[in-house]
Amino acid sequence: MLTNVKLGKTLRSVSIVGIGATPFFNAQENETYHGLTNGELFGYAALDAMKDAGVEPRDVQFFFHGTANPGVLEKCITPNLQVADWFGMRGKGSLSHSEGCCTGYIALEEAMMAVASGMYDIVLTGACDMGTGMPDGNTPSFMRIPLSTEVLFPDLDSIFDRAYGRYLGGGPGMNHDDWINYYANENGLTEDQIDDVLCHQAYHFRRAGALCPRAIRRTPFEELAKEAGYDDVWEYMKSPYNPKVTQYLRTASDSCVADGAAACIVVPTEIAKQFNAKPIEVIGCGASVLDAIVPHLEKKATAEAARQVYEQTGLTPDDIDLLYVNDFIGSSAFLAAEEVGYLPKGEGWKYVLDGRIAFDGDKPMNTNGGRTSYGHAFGASGMADIFEAVTQMRGDAGERQVKKLPKHTFLRGFGGAQNVRAIILESNF
Amino acid sequence: MSTERMKAEEFWNREHIVEKFWKGLADGVIYARKCKECGAIEFPPHIACNTCGYHETEWTTLSGKATLKSFVRTGILNARLELEDRGLKYVCGEVQFEEGPAINAVILGISKKKAKEVREKLPVAVRPVFFDMGRYTTLFFELDE
Ligand SMILES: [Zn+2]
Repeated sequence: MLTNVKLGKTLRSVSIVGIGATPFFNAQENETYHGLTNGELFGYAALDAMKDAGVEPRDVQFFFHGTANPGVLEKCITPNLQVADWFGMRGKGSLSHSEGCCTGYIALEEAMMAVASGMYDIVLTGACDMGTGMPDGNTPSFMRIPLSTEVLFPDLDSIFDRAYGRYLGGGPGMNHDDWINYYANENGLTEDQIDDVLCHQAYHFRRAGALCPRAIRRTPFEELAKEAGYDDVWEYMKSPYNPKVTQYLRTASDSCVADGAAACIVVPTEIAKQFNAKPIEVIGCGASVLDAIVPHLEKKATAEAARQVYEQTGLTPDDIDLLYVNDFIGSSAFLAAEEVGYLPKGEGWKYVLDGRIAFDGDKPMNTNGGRTSYGHAFGASGMADIFEAVTQMRGDAGERQVKKLPKHTFLRGFGGAQNVRAIILESNF
Repeated sequence: MSTERMKAEEFWNREHIVEKFWKGLADGVIYARKCKECGAIEFPPHIACNTCGYHETEWTTLSGKATLKSFVRTGILNARLELEDRGLKYVCGEVQFEEGPAINAVILGISKKKAKEVREKLPVAVRPVFFDMGRYTTLFFELDE
């Protein structure tokens, strides 16, 4: 791969002035939410974002709709046109995009470029996935049934290169554990030590999830341990109640599939305060994409995207106050935190064991609980991270508010085997 | 108007790279491409060079001599179903060819017990296995011991 991209200064600065998000939930099991549809979830999140920005649908000029897998989860193509009418944007321009679990971050990159170019002034961008279910045959969208492994598992191959990769070694296998295995070797850590680190990380993210009303898993691990008859939560974390699902990962470090949507409104920074007293500027976005046949692809793409965005913004890792990492592979969280310089190289695992990456630690990250607690509605998860980042930067996160009001937040998007984005937000008030 | 118009196939007749690669495996040959500018080996083969970004590469073959540098065992979350269905023991790892390129690959014949031994000895030599999947032949590896 080449690493010679130098990002330019955009024609104009862009800020987020409105955010909206549904909770993440399981619509197949939750009676209150069963029957809701992609168009409604996206629509409610979009209208909440508009309300937050003080605009009506008539004011919005263009929108982006992101979803990770419209084919299997919605049995549709071009979902943008199928949802537009839900929030009063019939007849306006829009675009569907789909980059697996990185979709929600790319949603912001797309909107940023649309406004930065001067083409549009008020843009809505959002993402929605209903990951727990699938259409019940060819029926109206409210009729859904649980997504079966018979449908899901063979389809997962679709994200891997069909010319070569998925039939060689680029499919599942290396995807989950390659980086943590590399890290363990590099730093002389045993499988047991890694197990401790990942259990502590899941534990601290759950502490945040417990305080996040939109999160899908909110029961603290102490409580789960007690229910299962364990006095010691760490004994529980290594028990058959939390079994290994890969060489290194236990279920607590695996994402919890969910349904949900999130959206935001972006405008030129020069007029941002007309919409919101606390605009959040999108000051840069680095990008790198590597197929799953490339060894250590997540590490390489994360390093490259981070390099680009630091160069673009002139910031260094020392300037970052808060970090979000797409951690549908649990180990990605602290590994990416090290790779982007938020935690010192080779020391990240100690920060995890000491709880310093928790929302109330000195290096907070994934303050909504991350994918393992907040849940994972595939394409929507990245936008839910942006929702949480803006909430924290405004100082509106309540009980899980980080100690120091963040000036700069870094988001590491990842997904679709694998697209990577590195976004930096700056509070502008 | 002339009826002697040039046919598309006369001015646009390009390499079938993917097809040649897979047919090569069926014959026990590992095709790759070599950059005409920097000389890097592009594997699996593509049109342009991903090492230096030059537009042109040419055919070459790999010896199959390679090294296993790191590997992981799989669990229920990341198992390779097509291998599980065949009852194969395997691990997934980084394999580097002697000609340079490295890929994520499947290494057959490594049980959980064997994995422990091999891990202590890394990097280790591996050799290609041209594995018949029914409709096509793919490239896996095995320990070269
Ligand atoms: Zn080259």
